[in-house]
Parts: sequence; C-alpha cells; structure tokens
Amino acid sequence: MDLQTKIENNAIVVTISGRLDAVTAPEYEKRIRELIDNGNIYFVVDFEQLDYISSAGLRGLLVMAKLLNAKGGRAYLANVKGNVRSVFDMCGFNAVFKMENSVAEALAMLT
Amino acid sequence: MIKVEHLSKKFDDLVVLKDITTAIKKGEVVSIIGPSGAGKSTFLRCLNLLEYPGGGSIRIDGVDILDKKTEVPKIRQKMNMVFQSFNLFSHLSVLENLTIGPIKLKGMSKEAARLKAMELLRLVGLAEKACNFPDELSGGQKQRVAIARCLAMEPEIILFDEPTSALDPTMVSEVLSVIRRLAREGMTMAIVTHEMGFARDVSNRILYMDEGIIYEEGSPEQLFDNPQKEKTRAFIQRIRSYTCRISSPDYDLYAMNAEIEAFCEKQILPKKTRDSLLLLVEELLQIYTPYLPATVLDLTISYSEKSERLEVVCESAGEAANPLDSDNLSDDDLGLTIIIKLTESIEYRYINGKNILQFLLIK
Repeated sequence: MDLQTKIENNAIVVTISGRLDAVTAPEYEKRIRELIDNGNIYFVVDFEQLDYISSAGLRGLLVMAKLLNAKGGRAYLANVKGNVRSVFDMCGFNAVFKMENSVAEALAMLT
Repeated sequence: MIKVEHLSKKFDDLVVLKDITTAIKKGEVVSIIGPSGAGKSTFLRCLNLLEYPGGGSIRIDGVDILDKKTEVPKIRQKMNMVFQSFNLFSHLSVLENLTIGPIKLKGMSKEAARLKAMELLRLVGLAEKACNFPDELSGGQKQRVAIARCLAMEPEIILFDEPTSALDPTMVSEVLSVIRRLAREGMTMAIVTHEMGFARDVSNRILYMDEGIIYEEGSPEQLFDNPQKEKTRAFIQRIRSYTCRISSPDYDLYAMNAEIEAFCEKQILPKKTRDSLLLLVEELLQIYTPYLPATVLDLTISYSEKSERLEVVCESAGEAANPLDSDNLSDDDLGLTIIIKLTESIEYRYINGKNILQFLLIK
C-alpha cells in the first residue's frame, strides 16, 4: 500500500493505492491517527488506485470514522469501485460511509 | 476366467505394481482407469506376459500362467492384445496382417484365413481397404485393423492398452464404436483407457488404479457418481489442489497469495474468482490467527475441472470448536460476513481430533 496526502479546501485528501489488508491496515491506521492528532478533521479518502480491501482494511476505516466522530470531524470516500466496492456492499459499508464518485464531489460536500 | 492374486512388478528399484488382486469373469468388460504411472499398462502387459511379474499368481481358466511349464504362445492366442500404437506389420497389406497369425500359429488354410479376415474387416468397416498397406490408412483405420487382426486369432479375452490415445479426436469414436460392438456381443475385455465417458458406458466394472494397487473398484455408477476414496474422487472430478501449512501467526500473507495466484493461473481461473479466493483465504487466516501459536492450520484449495468449482478446506487439530462460531471469534464479525457472502456452503466437521471447515466458493 502506498498512502499520499495533500491539503485541498481545508481538507486532507488521502490517496491510497495497492492493497488495504491485514498487512497494510496497521500502517494506514497509524498514518490516519497521526493526521487526526495533528488537528486535521476533514478527510477525503480517494480509492481510485486501491485494488483490494479486506475486513482488516474496513476496520482501519472504522477506526478513522470513530476518531473523527470524537473530534466532530467528517470523512468522505471517493471512487469506491470494482472489487473494493463489492466488499463494501458485502458488509453494508455503503450505509456507514458517505461516498462520492470523485474527489472533487467529495470536497464539495465537505465545504 | 482371469484370477489375479497379489501380483507385483518392479523395474529396478521402481515398484510399479505392489499388490494386485482381482478377477475378470467371462463376458465381463472391465475398464482400468487411473493417473499416468499408476501401473495400468504394466498390469495389462503382465496379464499377457509381455512383462513378467515379480510375484503373485495369474490364472486363466484355472491354469497358472506363471508356471514354467505353461505354453505362453497358447496363452497369448487365448488372450490377445490391442496396443496404443497399433503395432501393424507395415510391409504387409491389411489382409496379410490379418491372415499371418491364423496361418502361422493356428495352422489355418490360406483360403479359410482370407475368408475369416474379410469377414472381420467387414465387421470393423474396412473390407475395401484389404489390399492397402498400413501407411495408407488413418490412425483410426489402423486401430480398427489392429482390432480385426486381434479377433482373427479368435481370442477369448482381449486386452486393450489405451486403444485411442494415439488417435486424433475425430478418429476416437470409430474405434470406440467397434469396441462397443464387441462388448455387446459378449467378448471378455480389459480396457486401459482415459476415455471416461466410454469407460462408463461400456464397462460392467471399473478398476481405479493408483499407487500400484487397485485403489478402488466398483460399478461405473458407484465409481463415477459416488467414489468413496479421496484419490478416486480427485481423479474422477479432475481435481487439482494446492495445500499450505500455516504454523505461526507471523505467516507471510503475500508469499501465500503469490502461490495461490500461480495455482489460479495454472487452472486458468477468471480474475473475479481469483480475487474472491484471495479474499476468502485472508479472512480465514485472520479468523485462525489467534489459534496459530497452539495449532497448525492446513489450508487446501481444490479446483474441480469437471464441475468448475473451487473448494477451500481448513484443518486444524485440537478440541472440537468451530472457529466460525460467534463465541470463538476474536474480532467483530466483518470477516465472517465476507466469508458467508463469498461462499455457497460452509460445512463444519470434527473428525479424528481435527476441526475441519469446508467452503464452496460461489461460482
């Protein structure tokens, strides 16, 4: 997994690529925790380049949602499709997370 | 008619037949199936003494053919063989191929042998090729001549050693239909074949050979529809499998994924199936991780070419406990939810001190 961040419209856009699985989810959680601890509370997570997600990856996303909730923050997911979308569907995560078709649409929802 | 007891044969240190005991009755059609190297052809060649067995006994109508006093040529006349590679005499015409045996070995007159040969060529549909030479015939025609030549010796038993293996697919049916006709007419036959549909149709009994023994035998229905033993099932359903043993919670998920992907590639499985399988395996490993310091997990992925189904089996020793029971799950039930959505059936069994979970992946 590769994780890149940038700031746009006062939100953190997190672009993850590769796999979010049992091996990489702890690293994802750590990086997100650091970003939140540094005072960032508006997030867009871009799934465009994510090929694979397992329950371990979904738990990483849940941790992010909980931390943001506690701080009054919000997160949107963008470009959730293909395999990754199927796993979201299986677990009913479509109802748990707010999802948009693009990073721009997700950012628009945050502002 | 044929009674074989404790037959064994080895080539140098290689044991090909360990211990074969079986009997073939008059009029019975027995097909011998099994993987390459199982000893099927060697068994057939031992019956005809083309290979001399290392031990055991073979009796034909009560006569011990391994007795040194037994006249082998007479036995071979009684029990003739059709080979994969036809073995016709290329310098003789089709007709001469059929008459040479009866004239030289049975003392038949040339005219009687010719008449008999023409009758047999008509039976296999090749009377018009009587004057041709083997090189002028197709593979299927050559094999039909070989069968007619075999019949010319008026055998009581015919041994077929993969009679269609050397043929183009288009020529297989013409040879099989001749063998089918012989079966209908009550000829006693032992057939080594890879044509499963044919073996099922034509045989009274099937012998599945593996590991140098008759691993399982039964009627075609029993063997093809309800094989009792693991290897028979794997062979009949053309199952390919991959097993890995996980003994530590620090297993290398990516190395395992690479092996699973290689397995999927070998079976030419679609990407979607491969993705589902990788996800299922990861979720299972997550559920098993808390158990791993104390137990070893054997994970087997099996793909049946016949049914085009993928099955995953997890085996772990220990006290009876289904790792999928909610009381036994260490995390939330996200992983279990994914497993349930990816599979068509999940079966738990506790056998001989092992917890066995079997999953059938959704097609």
